[in-house]
Amino acid sequence: MKTETIRHRTAAFVMQAFFFSLFFIASSSAIAQEKEKAPAGSADNGYKAYMKYMCYTCHGTVGQGADRGTGPKLAPNPVSFATFTAQLRTPRQDMPPYRKEFVSDQELADLYAYLATIKPSPAAKDLPLPNF
Amino acid sequence: MAKGLDRRSFLKGAALTAAAIGTQIAQAAPAAAAASAEGETQEPRGKDKVIGRPGSDFMVDVIKATGIEYIASNPGSSFRSLHESIVNYGGNKKPEFLTCMHEESSVAMAHGYAKAAGKPMGMLAHGTVGLQHATMAVYNAWCDRVPIMMFAGNFLDADKRRPGVEWYHCVQDPAAIHRDFTKWDDQPVSLQHFAESVMRAYKIAMMPPMGPVLITADGNLAEESVHDEKRLKIPKLTMSIPSQGDSGAVAEAAKLLLAAEHPVILADRAARSQEGMTRLVELAEALNAPVCDIGGRMNFPTTHYLNRTDDKRALVQEADVVLMLEVADPWGQFNSISDPHHEYRRLAKPDVKIVHISVAESLTKSNYQDMQRFMPVDLAIFGDAQTTLPALTERVKSGMSSNQRVAISDRVKKLQTDYRRMKERARAAAAVGWDVTPVSTARMSSHLWNVVKNEEKWCMAVSGMQWNKNLWPAKEYYNFIGSSGGSGVGYGAPAAVGAALANRDKGIFTMTIQNDGDLMYGPGVLWTAAHHKIPILIVMHNNRAYHQEVMHLQKMAGLHNRSMDRAAIGTTIENPNIDFAKLAASLGLHSEGPISDPAKVEPAIQRAYAAVKRGEPALVDVVTQGR
Repeated sequence: MKTETIRHRTAAFVMQAFFFSLFFIASSSAIAQEKEKAPAGSADNGYKAYMKYMCYTCHGTVGQGADRGTGPKLAPNPVSFATFTAQLRTPRQDMPPYRKEFVSDQELADLYAYLATIKPSPAAKDLPLPNF
Repeated sequence: MAKGLDRRSFLKGAALTAAAIGTQIAQAAPAAAAASAEGETQEPRGKDKVIGRPGSDFMVDVIKATGIEYIASNPGSSFRSLHESIVNYGGNKKPEFLTCMHEESSVAMAHGYAKAAGKPMGMLAHGTVGLQHATMAVYNAWCDRVPIMMFAGNFLDADKRRPGVEWYHCVQDPAAIHRDFTKWDDQPVSLQHFAESVMRAYKIAMMPPMGPVLITADGNLAEESVHDEKRLKIPKLTMSIPSQGDSGAVAEAAKLLLAAEHPVILADRAARSQEGMTRLVELAEALNAPVCDIGGRMNFPTTHYLNRTDDKRALVQEADVVLMLEVADPWGQFNSISDPHHEYRRLAKPDVKIVHISVAESLTKSNYQDMQRFMPVDLAIFGDAQTTLPALTERVKSGMSSNQRVAISDRVKKLQTDYRRMKERARAAAAVGWDVTPVSTARMSSHLWNVVKNEEKWCMAVSGMQWNKNLWPAKEYYNFIGSSGGSGVGYGAPAAVGAALANRDKGIFTMTIQNDGDLMYGPGVLWTAAHHKIPILIVMHNNRAYHQEVMHLQKMAGLHNRSMDRAAIGTTIENPNIDFAKLAASLGLHSEGPISDPAKVEPAIQRAYAAVKRGEPALVDVVTQGR
């Protein structure tokens, strides 16, 4: 792994900004989220697509996010499918676009299905994390 | 080689023969070879020449006078006399010769050592090929403002050079290749000149802003006898006192900080010792101003309620006065440019008042752009931050009105609450993905802490991960040594080994989180650690890719309207996967791995820890998440 601190800092910041904006959108569109349903997708195929497109580079293999805010947390409890789709097709901040000609609607549904299956981690208080 | 005719004599003899008979070279060489094969030579035997007091012995006297304890080097003929004098005349003590396998490792070891020891290590290299190998590591040290005493071998007098390789290894101006990113250099032509230049170089290297310096140790000067010893004198080395900022400007800075409702302190290469941290704590407490430790050095305890490093962006946005202390990238604290669209964003308020205490501008050159973007500030104080802090704190305390005292005191509760929230946020983030395979970086960091937490003195030498600073209780200057400076890959392993060497002598337990790509630039430094019995616990952050570059490739594919599914090409380190445990074992280290099961990480680190406590270097290869 390259440690390109300055570029990394910039990337970390913009991804953090993305995270906050995504969070905001998710919160403000909570009602819409209730109404809409994600299309049917295969979690298995979604996992394969997640690895194929190397989403894990920034977001971790279970969507946990990355150190220094490089990639925001995606799961558990992903944002609404509409928000998810909007972010992938026409992303805010520095995330590259995953356009229809390269990532089909079905793949998007599969990716979302994979994220939706991810279970929460144990609470911090139950883990041997440093505490001071 | 035939008895009685060593390689050097043979080459010299062949050259003399060729010069004497001109066009008969082709015939002469085979003849000499035939003669040597029979154990005979046509050349007259040389005198039994002995140089009782070579110039290199005096050079060792000079180096000893500086207090340099180690010289890192890959051996080379252009400094063979100095090498011999170090090990025999000098007794291989202060300085001790450290066998390195690449000059980049030599310099990066010296880089890490200097930050842990608080003084420079020596480095010795060929004036041409050795310095060429060393360049990237020197650039890192330059960007990081770290002192290194580099010595280069060279034979300036062409008349005395052996033909062939020695010409390739000689150069008119050895320092030219480094001059853009070294603080000073010289090529002394006499031993007295050498003595004075070494003392000057040491002083210059150690004066903030510090930096690497380069002295050429001429091979002929080293190999020939000392003439007129009585005339030679090693000058006394007296270090210069770093400068304090102008007292009027300091008073003005105090006024601005006292009047602020939301002051913020940004510290980067501010502290040079524990004293520097103590001084910064005193100032921050006097103002109740949150401190963001940018991390060029260990500036502020992670346990202190005013350490709000993780909240830097929000604090800078809110700030009405920002005090920067030796910040390497001032512009980047207040502005950003998006990637890949290059859109400008202002992060701070337009009317924020900015004070910068720094000596950076006294060490700016033109070619390499390490000076970062120009940042207009309201008050620029030229002075060493650590030296200036007591005066600033005194001005803050003496200039504080009763109203200001109350306002500052009233900030405590909120600051303590915000600090606790920041820490809880970090712990919650670390918990996400706890059981995932490959191992999450937060979990790896936590397990490592659980193993070493009872160490009275510890140092996490090199780690690009924020988890260690977010989750670990660090109160001492030696806990973290900062980053590479220039972000040149290949720094991590040798810098950590150099820091471990300095810490071994101080009784500080040293560990490092080692990136896989970084280690492959110069894995030979692991052998150096084993050979010199340098105890260090190395935990691999083996994510099997240059993950930063994956992201760049994805961004470019998006920008060019192409698919993102080929970003692994040229960016991953798989097929085959590198077995770092085997690699380390072959170089003499205790090692385990690869470990992908998170439950097996802590027991493996525990076993490696036991090996380090026995005085050995040890490596645990953990297969990790990308970041």
